[in-house]
Amino acid sequence: MVSTIVHAGFALLLAAGLLGDHYDRRALAVVLAIVVLPEVDSFLGPFMSGAHRTVGHNFVFPAAAAALLYYDTRLRERSALRERLSDRVSDRGAARWIAVAWVGLFVHTVAHVSLDWVHLEGVNAFWPLRDRFYALSGEVFVSTADGFVQTFVGVEIDPETGGRRVDAGGGGTSRTVHVSNPVEPRDPSMVTDEPVDRRFPVANAGWRLYLIGLGLFALVARRLQGADRGSDPGEKN
Amino acid sequence: MAPTLVNAAVGALLAAALLGAAFDRRSVSIVIAAAALSDLDAVASLVIPGATNALLHNLWVPLLVGAVLYWDGSVRDASWLRERAGWYGVRVAWVALAAFVVAGIGPELFGREGANLLYPVHDAYYHVHGRLVFSTQDGIVQTFVTRDAAGPGILPLQSPGTTGSYAIPTWVNPDGRPGLSLDAERKLYLVRTGWQAVVVAAATATLAVRFEWHQATDAADPHSDDETTEVSR
Repeated sequence: MVSTIVHAGFALLLAAGLLGDHYDRRALAVVLAIVVLPEVDSFLGPFMSGAHRTVGHNFVFPAAAAALLYYDTRLRERSALRERLSDRVSDRGAARWIAVAWVGLFVHTVAHVSLDWVHLEGVNAFWPLRDRFYALSGEVFVSTADGFVQTFVGVEIDPETGGRRVDAGGGGTSRTVHVSNPVEPRDPSMVTDEPVDRRFPVANAGWRLYLIGLGLFALVARRLQGADRGSDPGEKN
Repeated sequence: MAPTLVNAAVGALLAAALLGAAFDRRSVSIVIAAAALSDLDAVASLVIPGATNALLHNLWVPLLVGAVLYWDGSVRDASWLRERAGWYGVRVAWVALAAFVVAGIGPELFGREGANLLYPVHDAYYHVHGRLVFSTQDGIVQTFVTRDAAGPGILPLQSPGTTGSYAIPTWVNPDGRPGLSLDAERKLYLVRTGWQAVVVAAATATLAVRFEWHQATDAADPHSDDETTEVSR
């Protein structure tokens, strides 16, 4: 997996940009929890083949959660979630936590599922509707020789039949794909006598260290900044 | 150099995170421009040998600008910037400086090309490559920072070379050396890897959402033109 710390780092940056007035320690903690918790699917691995990167790493559950949230808080005349939250906290608190939930969903989709999508065997993007791992890789450039080129999605046209084949990085299914993680550091179907080496990565490449640094920088900069609107003219920034 | 689009995208994310009440179209444009600015040294490389990722990718430029901003804002009796542009100007200036360093130089330093951090005082490109892993068999494995790295660098980082030995090709300057090479093939990269595509998509979505809120609050509160409104929802 892309290290959970990398997900958290990028999530911090996005959350700082999206939480607005709701930015505080508790809101950040809730967003981070939404982002990190799906990693628990690693522990389902011993019971369900290919559970990691499948159960907690798809676009179906976030989309379903967003649809439910939208239906409940926007379309219905009386929102069950809002009423419950209003009873527990206040009306303002209810609006705040609903906004935080939206941010959490967005950040989970981008900072967790999408970052794993571009790493190793990718994610089981449409599980449980469709069981297939997808890995996103490629580049986009404009060249004086070839014009606009993108290699993320390959479209091949068979010269004989004229049929189109679209390659969006699809791979195996949850039966055949195992994404190694500290709980199951190697493919369970592999038989070997080597001692088990569990590796807990912090950052396996420069860009992952960079994403961690970005999140920490945003956190520290928000701390050092003065109050908004220049309420205190003595403050530097 | 890393694609300028990626520098701009990280700059946009920093703008959304750090501008606070100063967030509006103008301030976001300034911060994104600051993030993309450092890539202009590729143009200078047409004249100055090896200027790419060196002339505007060193630490001296942001240190100098930061010192001037600090002196103007905190040491002088009356701040020139605050008198001219108010609290808004001071906030935008600091965030733009942060974007220049973190979004402009950062992706090069942590990417494949490297940045010439101490140029022109000491000429060597640096990049942060490696891994940091806790392994039950090998303990802590850390290869980002190395004291005995081969190469011309004096910082404890890997160095791919100097302005003389290491040329970085760009779409402006395909061979990385002075002189126009008009016949050469030019490649303008927009994104080079998957994670860069994710960052660009995230920045686009974040800006779209933030401007949506911004307009909503502006419409609700028409007297808030000068005092820029904080997003609320």
